[in-house]
Amino acid sequence: MKNIFLPLSEAIRDGDETRGLEEIDILLGAGVAPVEIFSGCVEPTLNDVGEKFAALIIFLPELMLSGRVVTKIQAKIKPLLQGDDTDGLRGRKAVICTVNGDTHDIGKNMVKLMMEVNGFEMHDLGTDVPAIAIIKKAQEISADLICLSGLMVPSLPFMRETIELTRAKPGLEKVKVMVGGGPVTREWADTNGADGYADDAVGAVRMAKDLCGE
Amino acid sequence: MNHKARLFDIMERSLTGPVMAEEDFDLEVVAMGIRKIVKKYEIKIGDDSLINFDKDLADRVWNAAIEFLAECGVYSKDTGRIIRFSEKEIRDLIKIAPAETIYGTGNDAVLEVARTPDDTRLCLNNGGSVGTPCPNEYFIPVMASYMQEPLVEMHCPTTNTYNITGSEIRTRTPLEIAAAWEQVSLFQHVAGMFGRPGMAHHGIGISVSDVGHLSAGHRMQKTDSHCFGIISELKADNAILNKMAHLVMLDATTSPYANPIYGGMGGGLDGQTVLMCAEMIALSVVFLANTCGTSPTHPIHFCTTTKEILQQISVCFYAISRNSTLLTRMTQTMVGGPVTKTFLYEIIAATLVAVKAGISQIDGPRGATGAVSGACTGLEARFQGELIRAAVQIDREKSEEIVQKAYAKYKDDLANKPYGKPFWEAYDLKTLKPTDEWRQMYEEVKDEAISWGLPL
Repeated sequence: MKNIFLPLSEAIRDGDETRGLEEIDILLGAGVAPVEIFSGCVEPTLNDVGEKFAALIIFLPELMLSGRVVTKIQAKIKPLLQGDDTDGLRGRKAVICTVNGDTHDIGKNMVKLMMEVNGFEMHDLGTDVPAIAIIKKAQEISADLICLSGLMVPSLPFMRETIELTRAKPGLEKVKVMVGGGPVTREWADTNGADGYADDAVGAVRMAKDLCGE
Repeated sequence: MNHKARLFDIMERSLTGPVMAEEDFDLEVVAMGIRKIVKKYEIKIGDDSLINFDKDLADRVWNAAIEFLAECGVYSKDTGRIIRFSEKEIRDLIKIAPAETIYGTGNDAVLEVARTPDDTRLCLNNGGSVGTPCPNEYFIPVMASYMQEPLVEMHCPTTNTYNITGSEIRTRTPLEIAAAWEQVSLFQHVAGMFGRPGMAHHGIGISVSDVGHLSAGHRMQKTDSHCFGIISELKADNAILNKMAHLVMLDATTSPYANPIYGGMGGGLDGQTVLMCAEMIALSVVFLANTCGTSPTHPIHFCTTTKEILQQISVCFYAISRNSTLLTRMTQTMVGGPVTKTFLYEIIAATLVAVKAGISQIDGPRGATGAVSGACTGLEARFQGELIRAAVQIDREKSEEIVQKAYAKYKDDLANKPYGKPFWEAYDLKTLKPTDEWRQMYEEVKDEAISWGLPL
C-alpha cells in the first residue's frame, strides 16, 4: 500500500469515522482519484481486516466499526464517481437472513460483515424471515445470491422451501443459494438443492466468490 | 416479590424502558460497553492454565458483569426498548435467587445445589445431546440408552426431526405443537419403561417457538427442567417472554440459557468472560431462572472445548460460584463424536473444568457439535457422570494437570472434525449396549485417565 494511504487505512482499522472522513478530504485535496482510494486503500484494508477476523486476531466489534467507517466513506465518495469508475465498485448483490422459525443472528451477522468487507452489497432481512419475503427481496434488487442461515433443526424445512421457491420463480434462474448454520451440513445442502454450503464466515465468502465466478 | 409480580414488572420495563435501535444496542451498548468495563476492571486472562486459580480476577469479573448489566440491560426486540435494572436491584435479586432446586419427582427427584469452586458436593449429570437431530426410528432407542444409565440423573432428548405421522417438523406450525406433545409423551413413556417415571425432562428441545411450549409445556412435570433460550447477546422478543410467562403461571422450574459466541459482541477471551457472566446474571434477574444455562460457542470449531472457551468457562463460573448462590448449567459441546477418543478426551477436560468452576449442573455431552444426525449415545453421559464424581475428589492443581493432558490429546484433532459414528453404529440395537469398539475405546481412555491420577 502506498504511504499516502496509510493514515486512511489506519482510520478504517481503528473504526474512527471522523478521522476516516478527514483523510478522505486530504486525499481528494491532493488530487487522488476516488476510484484509486478504493482500489489502493479501502479494499486491501478491508481484506486484511477480514483475514484478521477470520483468524480471531480481531473480533466482531472491530469488524463492525471498520465496516461503519467504510460505509461513511462510500457515501461521501460515490457521488464523485462517474461512468466506468462505478463498475469496479458495484458489488455483487446478496440477500441474507435467518430463515423462518429462528431468531439466531450472530452467525448470520458475521457472514454478512465478512461478505461486505469483501465487496458484496448485502441486503439483510434480519431473522425469522418467511421464504416469500426472501424471494420478493431477491427479485426487487436483482440479487446474485441468497444466503440463508438457520440454527435450529425445525427451521431447515423453511430453508428448503426457500430454495424450491427460488428455483420456481421466473427471473431468479441465475440466483445462487448458499446455506449455513449449526444443523446444516454439506450433505443437507447437496440433498436439498443449495448451490453452496459453508460452515463458517470465511468459507461463506470463499463460496460466494466461487458462485459468482470471481 | 413473587415470580408473578416480577413477571409483570419485567413486562412493564419492556414497555417503558429506553428506546434504542437494535444495531445501536449491539454495537454501542453491548460491544462498546464490554470494552469499557474490561478496561475499567483490568480483566486480563493471560496465562495458559485452563483451570482458574485467581480469586481476585474472578471477583473483578463478577463486579464488572454486574456493573455492565446495569448499564446495558436486556433488549426487547418487539418493543425496541431496554429492560433495565439498577445495580442495586440486580444485587438484591441475586440474593433471593434459588440456591437449590429439585428436578423430577418421587424416587427420581434430584436436588441441584449451588456449589462453590472447590465444593466436594456433586453437580447434577443432565445426560443428553440437546439439539442433535435424530431420525424417528432411533429416537426411542437413543433416549433409552441414556435412561438405562444410573449416573444420568435427568435427560434432554435429541430432536425428533419428523413427527409420528412422518411429517417434517416446522417451527410455529401445528407440526411443532404435535412434535412437542410427542416428545413429552415419548420421554415419559421411556422413563416409565426404565422404572424412572419421575425423572426430570430437560425440554422441550424441539419447541423452538412459543407455540409448542405453550401447548405441550403443561404436560411436563412442574419440576422438569423447562428450558428456553434467549437471543445472543442479551436480547429477547415476545415469544421468549411468552414462554417465561407460561412457566411462571405454571409455577414450573425453569432453566433458560444464553449462548455467547466467542469473537462476537464480547470480543475476545476477557470480554466474553464478562459478557457470559452478565448473561448468567440476566437469566436470573430478567428471565427468572431456577438454573442459568449456557453453552458458549467457538465460531470455528462450534464447541466448548477450545482453550479459549475452557478458560472462559473456568473464570466466569468461578466468579459466579464465589460470589453468589446462582444455580448454573453448562451444556458441553464437543467436536468429537461417539466412537472417537477425541470425544472422550474432550469430555474429560470440559467436565473437570466445569466441576472445578463450581457449576451445579452439567448437560451433555453433545457430540459432533450437535449437528450430526444421531451422533450421541448414553455411554458418554455415563462417562460424564463418572468424571463428575472423580473431579470432586481431586484438588485444583491436580485437575489442571489432568485437563492439560486431556487437552493436549485432542487439541490438534478438532480441525479434522472427528464426528465418529452415529448411535446405530455405536450401539447394538438389540441389546442396547455399546459395540465392542466403542466400549473398548471408552475403557482405554478411562484407564489412561486413571493413570493420570483421576480417581475413576
